[in-house]
Amino acid sequence: MSDDSLIIYEAEITKIDNLLKKMLKGAEAKCALLVDKDGHLITRQGFTHSLDTTALAALLAGSFASTKEIAKLVGEPEFSVLFHQGKKDHIHMSIVGERSILAVIFDDRTTIGMVRLYAKETAQELSRIFQEILDRHEPSPGISNEFADMAQDKLDDIFQD
Amino acid sequence: MVSINYSAREVCCKIVYYGPGLSGKTTNLQYIHSKVPQDTRGKLISLATEADRTLYFDFLPINIGTINDFQAKFQLYTVPGQVYYNATRKLVLRGVDGVVFVADSQPDKMDENLESLANLEENLVEYGYNPDELPMVIQYNKCDLPGVMSSDELNAKLNQKGRPFFHGSATLGNGVFDTLKLIIKLVLEKAKATGKGEGAARPAAQAAPAPPAPSVEKPYPETAPAAATAPAPEQQAAAVAEAPVVDQPAEVAVESQPLAATAEPESQPLAATAEPESQPAATTAEPEPREELSREAAYRPYPGSEKASTERKAPALGRSQAEELPAEALGRNIGAGTSDRQEQQSTVASTPQMAPSLRRRGENKKRGFFKRLFGIK
Repeated sequence: MSDDSLIIYEAEITKIDNLLKKMLKGAEAKCALLVDKDGHLITRQGFTHSLDTTALAALLAGSFASTKEIAKLVGEPEFSVLFHQGKKDHIHMSIVGERSILAVIFDDRTTIGMVRLYAKETAQELSRIFQEILDRHEPSPGISNEFADMAQDKLDDIFQD
Repeated sequence: MVSINYSAREVCCKIVYYGPGLSGKTTNLQYIHSKVPQDTRGKLISLATEADRTLYFDFLPINIGTINDFQAKFQLYTVPGQVYYNATRKLVLRGVDGVVFVADSQPDKMDENLESLANLEENLVEYGYNPDELPMVIQYNKCDLPGVMSSDELNAKLNQKGRPFFHGSATLGNGVFDTLKLIIKLVLEKAKATGKGEGAARPAAQAAPAPPAPSVEKPYPETAPAAATAPAPEQQAAAVAEAPVVDQPAEVAVESQPLAATAEPESQPLAATAEPESQPAATTAEPEPREELSREAAYRPYPGSEKASTERKAPALGRSQAEELPAEALGRNIGAGTSDRQEQQSTVASTPQMAPSLRRRGENKKRGFFKRLFGIK
């Protein structure tokens, strides 16, 4: 496979979650999502109970990917910050390290400046964590035989014409 | 690479439907979406033009259920088929685990099929994949139309590497599930082959429920991986055995079960602080999660989520509780010595209090009407 897999340990996820919580509190934002550029959700914090985070993660990653191509066309390697303004809710996206995106959803009880400030700080700290993770160069573990076999058994039950 | 997320208890694979324009990639996804049980699939998201041609991608998440305590999730993507959309087509291939190549079996579409297949291999190579090693299934679509080419003819041109193939008709549904089942099998086989240990095969002794968000609840020791790694099974068993499930901090419980957890911690302080303004000192020792929850609960719920109707109850409950306690929240903020800005905001937010009866009535109709009237943010 092409990409090195990212292996994040329990302690690091906790550290990341704490950073996100701190940022949400400071910036008074609604929620924060950390998304892989492939479209997988790494972690999320804040008010996300009724949010379709799977679709959101895929779309955010897609949005970032297309913006990157736009950037290339105008001679930039990539745009590191993206901001979508809505009537009530807004999304601020910033790049974290090489392969992750930090998306913060916020509403009118805070300001874009605050979110930007906290997101920038957090992104820097997060990229330090990700750099440490990447420096370890661990091989990917894959999934177990048992898991694969059980999943295959389930397929026939679910996918019936 | 198959993504294994230990914190959310998910195994996630990305499968891309590739092929020339109008070969039936989106129709494949639409058929799957229409036939799969509702609890298995998510929302089909289609980024299409006015004329229903895929502009960027279609996205359909499916969840085949919990296996060994892990949710097996598959994300199905399609690409735009037209030649001139190569820039966006390539983006969708990023991080792909398996490809379904949907070819059009009509003889006059062969050139487009060949061009698309060449383009697929080119794009995969650019991402550093070896096209021969990546799990791939070919679907010869539109086999219900008259005058289509035979298997031998199609294989001779499009399948020189002997990949598995199916004849299909995405509009009728023939071969759609066969293709999907096979690609999932191949992806899992491949993930198994790259794996060195027993990654997701954990003993099913997980005490805490597994809501998607919180990651703090896992009983892994620090040496155990969180997002994608594989400790030996013995280690895992030991880890689970050692796990201080009972000692889980209250904070974790509050985080992972918002609905149930808010009810208890919120109700006690309510009684205790009948005269909240007179005793701000008492509230300084309040644990932080409560503040976060009450803040969280006041947010506007998100639309669109299929689960929203049931889950939205949680914030609603929290909101009424939060609004009954503004003075107390003020006391805590000042007492806890938070930043000046926060102090100022909470003062502004809670000084012009409305009578309780008005507030309660307002909740059902226009929440925030008085706030807007008085210009309070």
